[in-house]
Amino acid sequence: MISMRMLVSRLAPLLACLGLLGVWQLGALILDTDSFPTAIDAIRAVPSILGDKESLINILASLRRMAVGYSLAVAVSIPLGLMMGRSRGVASFFNPLLMVIYPVPKAALMPIIMLWLGVGDVAKTLVIFLGVSLPVIYHSFQGAKAVEEKMLWSGAAMGLSAAQRMIRIVLPAALPEILTGCRTGLVLALITMVTSEMIARQSGAGNILFNALDMGQYDTVYAMIIIIGAMGIGLDAAFERLRSRLVKWSEPRFEIPLSFA
Amino acid sequence: MRVVPSQPDLGADAAARKQASAMIEIDRVSQVFRTSGRQDHLALSEISLTIEDGAFVSILGPSGCGKSTLLYIVGGFVSPTSGAAKMRGKVITGPGPDRGPVFQEFALFPWKSVLGNVMYGPRQQGVRHAEAEAQSRALIEMVGLKGFENFYPKELSGGMKQRVALARTLAYHPAVLLMDEPFGALDAHTRTRLQNDLLNIWERDRKTVLFVTHSVEEAVYLSDKVVVMTRSPGRIKEIVDIDLPRPRRRAELLLDPHYQKYVVDIEGMIDDTSEDELRP
Repeated sequence: MISMRMLVSRLAPLLACLGLLGVWQLGALILDTDSFPTAIDAIRAVPSILGDKESLINILASLRRMAVGYSLAVAVSIPLGLMMGRSRGVASFFNPLLMVIYPVPKAALMPIIMLWLGVGDVAKTLVIFLGVSLPVIYHSFQGAKAVEEKMLWSGAAMGLSAAQRMIRIVLPAALPEILTGCRTGLVLALITMVTSEMIARQSGAGNILFNALDMGQYDTVYAMIIIIGAMGIGLDAAFERLRSRLVKWSEPRFEIPLSFA
Repeated sequence: MRVVPSQPDLGADAAARKQASAMIEIDRVSQVFRTSGRQDHLALSEISLTIEDGAFVSILGPSGCGKSTLLYIVGGFVSPTSGAAKMRGKVITGPGPDRGPVFQEFALFPWKSVLGNVMYGPRQQGVRHAEAEAQSRALIEMVGLKGFENFYPKELSGGMKQRVALARTLAYHPAVLLMDEPFGALDAHTRTRLQNDLLNIWERDRKTVLFVTHSVEEAVYLSDKVVVMTRSPGRIKEIVDIDLPRPRRRAELLLDPHYQKYVVDIEGMIDDTSEDELRP
């Protein structure tokens, strides 16, 4: 009985996928237009894209930019967010700046960034960096702010210096919150990656998608959406697996899984 | 040739001896909290108190009388607005492993197991891993948590968490235990058991303990000395020496008229305090 329920809950995301594809398939059959191929046609186009050397290089270039932009953003944002959370001075210096940047769609900055940095890797990586930074800073800030004062005092009594308390108490105590930010950031990295390639059409997964759209190759368009979507799902699932391992100590015992992990 | 008078020498000697037995001296400590808009709040006013080495001293008072603040000042977590607290004659300027806090909120490291929490202090002090682990396992057994070494704090009850917190603090051998209403968040039954266990542990090495509480029974049961405080501003109203034999047994004590008299007398002092407050 319980194992049956567990089986269903584990298969639920897969069933949801199949359900969506089914609706797609039916909708496409009913509408029957060129710009809306059936799910089966789109899936059939996937291997040919992944088999094509040119496309594969483009997709890998996208992933590389995303990895670089994401890593840099995380490396800068976590320390910044933590320091903002523990120091009123640092927080009041950076807060107004972030409040201004926060609501601006990062893709809207793309034209300016292209003007300065060209349409190459640097501009696109920078947009990804900006997109990822804010949620990671915000969650690191919240996590650090919420660290119990008494926990830091306990550490201080053991002889931990201020810097040691930051790394060995604030960081682990805020880790669940930080990783929530990193997970949001990962999805945003994928979104900004595609958007940047949509604006600066030179290479990448987004470029394949929009070129296909221009040429009316709708199978390829939808196949690319499937590929990018699968990349997102795969990255999120891998991250979720890593996250739940790192913060096992903080997890409530019963929870509906919100990922494929 | 003049004979040097020996009197001052004797005096200095006596002073030195007194110094040696005084573990903590609180010298005219005042604490003002700045509040936005309203008037500044005087939390502690000119508190002077000496705590002898090996004494179990409770600070008793209504909530908001600054008793926890006084403990934090001794811990070095809060700097007094004026006056100074000294530990073995040296002015306290910050926290240190010679003063081990145990908080009502436990303040355990949730990402560490029970063993990891207890080992944290000794490891920080540079004790080798194997040695720290052996000591910590012994302490965990002493506080009655054998078998829970690999549990995370979230998996423990409040009473168990406080046992871990006590073991974690004892692990780095502080000379003074600073206990901030440690049993305040626990249910009555758990509290009684932890009081008994604390006394048993304390009987072994008679560490100096500064214990903040608002429970008169708890203060009388545990302490050598009860410092009764008034509220707003926090002042010492009276210091009561609890002259009850040790080791103390709760069941015997509850029937002991001396114990009962201490409790009634001290409750009376606290009643007076609240009447004082009603005056304009």
